[in-house]
Amino acid sequence: MQDRPTAAELLEAIAELLEKQVLPAIQGPLQHQVRVAGNLARILEREARLLPELDASEASLLRGVLGEEDDDRDLADLSRALVRKLDSEDVDAVLERKSHAALLEIVRGKLSIDKPGYDTYDFAEELDA
Amino acid sequence: MSAADDTRAGLARFLAVHWDEDVDVSELGVASAGARRRNVLFEATRAGGESLRLVATIIPNAAIQVMPMEVEASTLRAARAAGAPAPELVAVSEEVEYVGGPLFITRRVDGETIPRRVLRTIDAHPGLGSRVATQCGEALAEIHRVAGDAVHPDLPRQPEPIRMALAGVRQLLDGLLQPSPTFSLALRWLEKHRPPEPDRLTLVHGDFRNGNLIIGEDGLRAVLDWEVAHLGDPMEDAGWLCQRMWRFRNDALEVGGLGSRADLRKGYEAAGGTFDDARFRWWKIMSTLKWGAGLAGQAAAHLDGTVRSVVMAASGRRIAEMEYDLLMLLSPAYRD
Repeated sequence: MQDRPTAAELLEAIAELLEKQVLPAIQGPLQHQVRVAGNLARILEREARLLPELDASEASLLRGVLGEEDDDRDLADLSRALVRKLDSEDVDAVLERKSHAALLEIVRGKLSIDKPGYDTYDFAEELDA
Repeated sequence: MSAADDTRAGLARFLAVHWDEDVDVSELGVASAGARRRNVLFEATRAGGESLRLVATIIPNAAIQVMPMEVEASTLRAARAAGAPAPELVAVSEEVEYVGGPLFITRRVDGETIPRRVLRTIDAHPGLGSRVATQCGEALAEIHRVAGDAVHPDLPRQPEPIRMALAGVRQLLDGLLQPSPTFSLALRWLEKHRPPEPDRLTLVHGDFRNGNLIIGEDGLRAVLDWEVAHLGDPMEDAGWLCQRMWRFRNDALEVGGLGSRADLRKGYEAAGGTFDDARFRWWKIMSTLKWGAGLAGQAAAHLDGTVRSVVMAASGRRIAEMEYDLLMLLSPAYRD
């Protein structure tokens, strides 16, 4: 076990340095890059806290869609297996619906790390029936 | 001599040849300096004393040119002749000897182009956003009036825009470092619901969006960046304009965060266009998928060393946004 600060706490410290001290001290195109770097540190801070649980949930959702509960493939393989399936002819409306529901949950998980709040917009007004 | 002095002298030499008289160039400013092209604002004073406020668009490296300058310049002329607010062309040259690369010069149009500043201007003027969205519809209809016989013969043509878009995006997806099941599901939907090829090809701007528009307090003043224009399906422009990426957090306003689709349609139809909802929806989803694959491509360009940049790397972490948008746009098809 590593000593404190944790990865998340260190990344938060890096984000604070970039945003509060470096950004106000620089000019020009570098500003944009530093702003992006600060945001990446925030993303990684959330990732350090949230990823283990999200990965476990993603694997279980993918296994559910693929229909093999005791599948011991890792996450990347499971994801590739679903891609192969969706790219093939071997897909019916049920699998499409199950994939859609599972992928939406998986993507909401990714957004909770990459861009919290992005999924509050629901497109209701612009969806044609 | 500084780089700015070189550019100033080069522009003066070029315009002196173009107008066949002495020209003085002053008040140089750089409006934007991307890797692909540079926009330089300047003032040219002609021999008779007349002063013109101009913009030079310069390709610093002719090797990465997307389209010959003469083709882009002739597209500006054709769009303008059809009534679209394209900047007025002054001169064009493929010669690299003046400013280090091919260039064209247009009349300068004042106003805001940076999306967040555009949206701030809109916020400060009630009714302006809806007016701009309507004007976007008019401008698109005007652009789409331009038919194949009115453009430069070298303008890229997509004789079967639907088939070509599907093939293009499939190729992008095949090249992904990390395949995305969401992108595969979206491509499946696009293939299953492909509309018939359009009955006529028109000029398509190709990147008509908040960010390539000049906006003032009086509304839409000009449409910029015609380098990916082509002959294709007119509804491609409407779909691209309305993807969520260009709303800059003003999500409820489908047209670039400016106005509603009803505003856009009103302008489009008033200017003689036919707005096709099913085709629009297909292109909006296609555009979102294409941009998603593009973001993955930017991350890949960082990882393989083509362009090492924290900004390109960060694009990989925006893929989830496009996946979310796609899944939401597809949700009516997969509701229980």
